[in-house]
Amino acid sequence: MSNTANAHSDSLQHAEQTHGADGHTNPEGSEVFTTLLNSLGDHHELNIFFGHYKILPVMLVDDGFHVYPNIDAMEQAGVFTMHHPEHEHHIVRTSTGASPKLDLSVTNFVAYEFIAILIATIVFGIARGGYIKNALQAPKGLQNVVESLVLYVRDEIVRPNVGTEARAHRLMPYILGIFFFVLTLNLVGLMPGCHAATGALGVTAALALTTFIVVNFVAIKDAGIKSWLHHLLGGAPWYMFPIMVPIELISLFTKPFALMIRLFANMTAGHIVLLSLVGLIFFFKSWMVTPVSVAFSVFIYLLELLVAFLQAYIFAMLASVFVGLALGDHAHDDHHGDAHAH
Amino acid sequence: MEAVAFAWLSAGLGVGVTVFGVGTGIGRLAAAALEASSRQPENAGDIRTTMIIGAALIEGVALLAGVICILLAVKS
Repeated sequence: MSNTANAHSDSLQHAEQTHGADGHTNPEGSEVFTTLLNSLGDHHELNIFFGHYKILPVMLVDDGFHVYPNIDAMEQAGVFTMHHPEHEHHIVRTSTGASPKLDLSVTNFVAYEFIAILIATIVFGIARGGYIKNALQAPKGLQNVVESLVLYVRDEIVRPNVGTEARAHRLMPYILGIFFFVLTLNLVGLMPGCHAATGALGVTAALALTTFIVVNFVAIKDAGIKSWLHHLLGGAPWYMFPIMVPIELISLFTKPFALMIRLFANMTAGHIVLLSLVGLIFFFKSWMVTPVSVAFSVFIYLLELLVAFLQAYIFAMLASVFVGLALGDHAHDDHHGDAHAH
Repeated sequence: MEAVAFAWLSAGLGVGVTVFGVGTGIGRLAAAALEASSRQPENAGDIRTTMIIGAALIEGVALLAGVICILLAVKS
């Protein structure tokens, strides 16, 4: 049991040991690298503050719906088992060795998303309490921080990009939600012994999918389906459609795809650099490397703190820029109206 | 074993070329933005916003290349 479940818990020592025993298939650098990537991946147990807790439910869809309270219960039931080839680990059917059709388990990253939702709800709840208690007074404390961030998102990100004031008002909850969700996930991921859920492609893909839906929904609803279809021509004459429509369709999907890759790669790259710098100590097996390694790690850590805020800002910014782009000329309808009225 | 060596080599070279291109791109972008905002300090906020969007788009392409390099290194 300890072999199957804690394969990644003492990952670096484990890598050293396997290398000493039979590690002639991989070069040592590759071994350490694979181990680091593996520890950044998703797990079926909650890893928080360096502890491993098997409390997350496992939900599998194969021939019917299988639910187990945790990974140990799944192993004991015997229908499915954890498979460990090389350094990977995934759930397979014990009898056939095939993967289940769909794995809907609450994994480590999903648990971190719930934690982030909880933190954001508590912070905004406290801020809301401040507005009820001291109505029409200057905000203070946590309420002040939240208010300045919300106002920044409204005045610098949403309003200049989406055109009309009414549309900005309508989009604010979504953009604010994206901003604070990504920010909380990034900051939670920077706490020692915690994982950044934004470093998983599935999480960022879901966020980018919501952006895709919102951008196209707003474009169709506000500018009309005719304008949305006309936008697929990209401003070229109508007889250019065999070339323009495929290009514009690709660009429709590239924008959220780039959002997904950007957030994922930025968060993962920072964590890989941090872990690699710490891994240098294990690689050289010498205390001489430690001061250099720690100093660089602290520098990268501070850079990561900047990146955590910057990526939340860029995600929210690009989401509102894409709304403005999808609307095209219609984004500035009310300004034209003003000009005519004057 | 030779294929593995070539995969690692191509991943390393790929990252090098990517970083060269992106460094040049973001460097030019920052230089132009700095020049523009020193000529028109009252527009510095707008220029910074536009610069960050441009930098993010350049970085997006770089990260795509970086992911391909990581895949090359991991699959080997």
